[in-house]
Amino acid sequence: MAKETQVHGASVAEVTLNAYEHAYEQGWTDGLPIIPPSEELVQRFVAASSREARESIGVLPPRSGVATVEVIAVNAVMAGCRPEYMPVIIAALEALTDPAFPLELIQVTTNPMTPLLLLNGPIRHQLDINYGAGCLGPGWRANATIGRAVRLILLNVGGALPGIYSKSSFASPLRYSYVLGENEEENPWGSFHTDRDFDPEDSTVTVFRATNYVNISGGEGVGPEEILRHIATAMPPMYLGGEGAMILLGVNHARNLYDAGVSKQEIQQKLWEYAVVREDHFAADFVATEKAAGRTGPGVVRRTRLPEQIYVLVAGGPGPQDVYISADMPQTRLIPR
Amino acid sequence: MMISTDTFTNFGRRQASLKKLPYVVIAETPNPIRQLDEGTLRQRAKGMLDTIIWGLTAPAEAIQKHNQELASKTVRPAGIVRASHPV
Repeated sequence: MAKETQVHGASVAEVTLNAYEHAYEQGWTDGLPIIPPSEELVQRFVAASSREARESIGVLPPRSGVATVEVIAVNAVMAGCRPEYMPVIIAALEALTDPAFPLELIQVTTNPMTPLLLLNGPIRHQLDINYGAGCLGPGWRANATIGRAVRLILLNVGGALPGIYSKSSFASPLRYSYVLGENEEENPWGSFHTDRDFDPEDSTVTVFRATNYVNISGGEGVGPEEILRHIATAMPPMYLGGEGAMILLGVNHARNLYDAGVSKQEIQQKLWEYAVVREDHFAADFVATEKAAGRTGPGVVRRTRLPEQIYVLVAGGPGPQDVYISADMPQTRLIPR
Repeated sequence: MMISTDTFTNFGRRQASLKKLPYVVIAETPNPIRQLDEGTLRQRAKGMLDTIIWGLTAPAEAIQKHNQELASKTVRPAGIVRASHPV
């Protein structure tokens, strides 16, 4: 059972503030205020998970902390989640602690890499997870607090104290929360999860290792070649670029490309061909590293080794905008109905 | 036995502690080293040799005592839960 801490105050507001101050002093927060995780609230969240409180979901590096359902619930309360978010957070933790996912590296590296959570299926509507306009920005409780709960768990259970165990030189605002739904309703091709043989009515969460966020603006009234070449200019080869890249096509460009008869596979192929930089632009040892990783072509360094490592999704609202995210190593888990 | 630049020495001690490896000895050299020429690198390596040999030959009790004294100051500095400068 989690250890109890008592906080006192002359009013509810003062107790809440004192709880935040205490949690901040202990290093339990991301810097933002937290909801005090009372025993009653934690039990409500455990009940919403349909799992046992003591069930271990995973062991988190570097501290080898055990994320039980109860511990997850404590952090979810602190993050400001609703109880019904628990199955998503638990599924995300299961994905993050898959041995194939580089969680330990993410927790301790000097790089700003962080988990990105992608939601597919009916869960987006059930929990009001934003997949449309503003889907990567503030305003939606589920997007903000599910990601925040994951960050608090990585901090409090995994021990990624900034500057102490986490050596990230700059970290990133993306480490507060990096969660979105796919805009399946405006995706004229298949969704990310149906491409992976899930049913459209399945709800899934996929975790990626993500390093950045690059908005690509422009490209109104142009053809498919211009759209794809424009996107490719924003996704150059990069040190520690890893094995993948995610493109969030805005709904306008998705429709333009689909109406021009371009398939998702063709998008991947063309971006793979266009997202190259001449190798004489780079230092020799970088080129050698990329060559060893299979990410070069004749006289060029490529962004990814294979076209299928460029994940093409549709998200966001109307406008001539797309997004490139250096994102790889996806792990998908089904969210129980 | 670990060889490290000083930027990462404390981090290495924390990792060794987390992985329950109490006898890791760290030979350190000032950061950065990437751009140093071969001659300078050889001198740096020479400067670490005494620590390396001690780490590989000293009795376990001596290493443990040495590490415990260091750990109290560096692995989890008391009262520090976040740090914008290396600790």
